[in-house]
This record gives sequence, C-alpha cells and structure tokens, in this order.
Amino acid sequence: MIPLAHGFVVRSDLPIPEWLFGWAAAMVLVVSFVALAVLWPDPRLQEEGWRPLPRGLGHRLTSRPVEIACAAIGVFLFGLVIYSGLRGTQTATANFATTFIYVVFWLGLVPASVLLGDVFKAFNPWRAVGRAVAWVARGATRGELPAPLAYPRWLGRWPAAAGIFAFAALELVASNGDRPENLAIATLIYSALTFIAMALYGVETWIERGEAFSVYFNLFSRLSPIETRGGVVGYRRPLSGLPALQALPGTVPLLAVMIGSVTFDGAAEAPLWTGIAPDISSFFQDLGLTPQTALEVTFLIGLTAAVLLVYGFYRLGVAGARSVGGGFTTGRLAAAFIHSIVPIALAYVAAHYLTLLLIQGQAVSFLASDPLGDGANLFGTADTQIDYGVIGATATWYWQVGFVVVGHVTALTLAHDRNLAIYDNTRLAVRSQYWMLAIMVGFTSLALWLLSQANT
Amino acid sequence: MSRNQRIGLVVVAVAVAVVAFVIARPGGGEDDNGSERAAQTAPAQTETGAAEETAETQTETEQSAPPEPEVSRIRVRGGTAVGGVQRVQANKGDTVRIVVTSDAPDEIHLHGYDIYEDVAPEKPARFVFRADIEGIFEIESHVAEDAGRDPLLARLVVEPS
Repeated sequence: MIPLAHGFVVRSDLPIPEWLFGWAAAMVLVVSFVALAVLWPDPRLQEEGWRPLPRGLGHRLTSRPVEIACAAIGVFLFGLVIYSGLRGTQTATANFATTFIYVVFWLGLVPASVLLGDVFKAFNPWRAVGRAVAWVARGATRGELPAPLAYPRWLGRWPAAAGIFAFAALELVASNGDRPENLAIATLIYSALTFIAMALYGVETWIERGEAFSVYFNLFSRLSPIETRGGVVGYRRPLSGLPALQALPGTVPLLAVMIGSVTFDGAAEAPLWTGIAPDISSFFQDLGLTPQTALEVTFLIGLTAAVLLVYGFYRLGVAGARSVGGGFTTGRLAAAFIHSIVPIALAYVAAHYLTLLLIQGQAVSFLASDPLGDGANLFGTADTQIDYGVIGATATWYWQVGFVVVGHVTALTLAHDRNLAIYDNTRLAVRSQYWMLAIMVGFTSLALWLLSQANT
Repeated sequence: MSRNQRIGLVVVAVAVAVVAFVIARPGGGEDDNGSERAAQTAPAQTETGAAEETAETQTETEQSAPPEPEVSRIRVRGGTAVGGVQRVQANKGDTVRIVVTSDAPDEIHLHGYDIYEDVAPEKPARFVFRADIEGIFEIESHVAEDAGRDPLLARLVVEPS
C-alpha cells in the first residue's frame, strides 16, 4: 500500500486490552443508568452565569497591545509555515510546516481551547489580516466601505463542515498530504477563499460561521469555563457554554464530519478496513485508475462512509426520540441536542490523538531551531530528540478510556439538561431520554471498539 | 430521590467500578508470563540462537522455548518483505534480535528506536537492542522509500511487560 499521510506517526498505539475494553463498556452502561437516576430534576445549565475575571484582569487580557501581539504571533507562524513548506526540505518529519499544521495547530489547540477558551480567535492569522485590511480600507475611504452582504441563513455552518471535511481528506486521503509543499499550497488556497468570503460577508461573521478552524476550535472552547464576551475575559459555569450553541444549518453535519473523520482514521488501522480496502482499490484500478488514485478514491469513500454513518446514526436516534411524542419535528430535535455531541467529539479526538500530540509535539523543539530542515540551529535546540517513551502503553490506555467515559458522562448530562428544558411532560422527557442515551452509548461503544482495534 | 440517596447511589456505582476494575485487570506483577506469550504470538519467523549464524532462510520454530535468544528474521526480496509485512512481537525489557536479509543493498530503519543498519546480499543486517519503549514501530527500507514505493517491511510491537 502506498504510504499515506500520517507517515510521520512514528509510534502507533497498541490496542486496548480486551479486559479494559470490557470493563469500560460495562462502566458506560452503569454510569448511564446511575446518571439518569441521580442527575438534577430541573434544568441547570441553560443559564451561563458569566462574570468578568476579577481585578480588571478581564479587560487587560483583551487590551489593544495584547490583541496586536497575539495577532502578530499568529501571522508570523502562518508566514513561517508557508515559507518552510515551500522552501524547506520535503521530508515531512524534518519540516516545520507538517508538524506545525497537523500537531501543534490541529491537535494542540484542542486542549488549549477546552482549558483556556477560544484562544485561536486571538491568534487567528486570517482574522488578523482581515481586520488590518478593513482598518486600512476604512482609513483610505474615510469610513465609506460598502456594507458586507447579509450572510444567508441557510448557509449556517455548512462552509465550516465542508472545510473540516477537506482538511480531513488532505490528512487522511491524499497520498501526499503530509508533503510540506502541498500543505503550504493548500494553506494558500484556503487563505484566498477565506479572504474572499471575509470581504463578502464581513470578517467577524465569517469567523463565526464559515471559517472552518475558527468554528471547530470555538465548539471545543464552549466546554471551557473561560469566555470572552464584549471584549472582556470572564468565567462561566463549566459546560454552560454549550447549551448556548445556536444550532445553525450545517451544525449536525459539522459534528458528523468531526466524529466521522476520527472514526475513519481509527478504523483505517483496523482489520475491518485493511481487509476490504485493497479490494475496493483494485476495483478502481480495473477501471483504469493509477494505483495511487485508486487508493485515494478508496480512502475518500471510506472517509465519506464514516461521516455518513455517524450522521445517519444520530438522525436515527433523533427519529426515535421524536416518536415518543411532544410535537417536535426531527429537524428541531436534531438541532436541540447536537450541542451534547460536542464532548463526544472531543473524547474521540483526545483518545485517538493523545500520543501523537505528546510525542510528535516534542518535535517543535528541534523544528523551531531548524524549520527548513537545512541544518540551521537558530536557538541551539536543533539536536534535541523525541522521547518516544514519554507515556507508556498502559498509561495511554487509561487516559484513552478515561477520555471516552468522561466524554460520555458529559454528553449525557448536557442531553439530560436539554431534555428537562424542552419537554413540559416528565414522562415524555424520560422516554425521549432513553433514545438520546442510545445515541450516546452507540457513539461511545464505537469509540471503545476503535481503541480496541487500533493497529491490530 | 433525596440528596442522600443520590450520593449513596454514586458511591455504590464508584465502588462497583473500582471493584470491577481490580477483578478485570490481569494479576499484578508477580506472575510474569510475558516471555511465554512473546514466543507464541510472534508470527515473524523465529529461530533459536544456534541457527542464527547460518544463512539458512527456512523457519524452524521451537515450541519448547529454551532460554536461548530468539531471532526474528525478515527476508526482503525485490524491495518487499517475503510473506507481506511482518510482525515482531516483544515485551518491554526484552532483548530483541532482528536479522534482515535482502537480495539488494539497502538501508533498514527501525523507527522510534532510530536504529539504522546497512544490508547487502551477502551481509544481513542485525538489530540487537533492548525493547524499552512500548508501542508499535515501523521497520522500513530506505531504498523503497526513496523510490516512492511502500517502504514498510515489518512492525515491531512492544507490549507492556
């Protein structure tokens, strides 16, 4: 098989042992029914109770100098990625661009968002450039810039869903998706599209709904107790940021892409997929495709199937919840509960990419000194090496299972709270809750199964 | 349900979880059946130490597992491993011995442990090292990699001891 992206994964995870799989699966059921029994009987998370950080800290963190410094860092790193991608060595592991995009940015910003809130917004290079251009343009036209177009309601988060799908395809489907040059070019194309969309719909509107990475990290930041509101950093009740998520069109597909792409990445290492992929691939070769294209088409089919499977499963559970009555449409229910899937998406990412982040993340130390892979040693750290034993297999298993179980409980809690909020009738609320429970158990079992199938 | 009942239920659930975990987990460090498992599950071709020095390529698996060092053999023909991608199984702390033979000059790279060995038709590459990092690591042919072909020859699987 042709080496695919992720060729820079040096240490792959061992599958979780059977006993741990069994224990975790049993725990998911125990936890679910205990949760249903002990969780609060009145909605509690629908209000956020936001307060600014004490002693004016909330204002200082968003002051103009801090804002400009963060934006400058973001733009500098963006430039460095493009430069090293185009000019540096084309060995993925030795080039700053590949590790920065796939590990520091794509994986590292996930825990940062969950713990510290929407940090990517502050460092977002596209937003920084967009705002700077708007500021200059306003000065040049003396404030007579044409108003942006109204953002179509039906478009919602669809552009973000499409963007994340495209990114996942680059990472998991394209056979040269980890080649630094390709990453730099993909980044430039994405940037051009982003700037055009910002010019049409306004910088902040596009950041909120269309710019894939802003939307992606913002979803995770909603789990954080920290939120910036009206230019002030403050804190809120943990989890309370998610119920406030407006389920715009495209939100359910976005979550399906998020979970489906991790599912595919995990399943691609499992016998289920490695068994059938060569057959599909040779089918396309028989149709006249080159081996590489045939393999890419095969993986694209796999990725798409995983996303559709996740989407279909969620819609099926929601259809079940609708069948208990209460007068809601499936669309309304799908939107009402989608925020509760975010912790599960987080658990998928955390469990699947924990070791990649901890191990390949160390490469930043030598890549910062030698971003182009040409022997430079800017900070004297070019000779540092990755400690592949930084986390043992057993510790990895416990963390992975821990993420999955905690994600499951969090999702149940959010769904329970929403159930109480939307049903007047307790009996209907309880019955619809069983359906939501079935969805959660399904996603969680899939996550555990993927962990148990890893690299077998 | 009263507040106390809820707390009680959570405590019971946590207790059940902990007890189940302790029961499910395979016994502590005392019964070490690790080396046995390695011998049974390694599908890579293994031979006993006595046969190591000969250029013999046929397999000869010793089930009675004497304390002789085991050698995993990987044969490379035409840039790929004979019999498909091989699997070398070890437990943490084991001394692993891998011998790679090839019909063409090549450089073999064990990732993670970052060991490189040259190989030539009459000169097998020998890897001898202590498996002190858990996980799955690739063993690759650099000639195949440079030619843009799939370089994967084998996977080294190091399980916790």
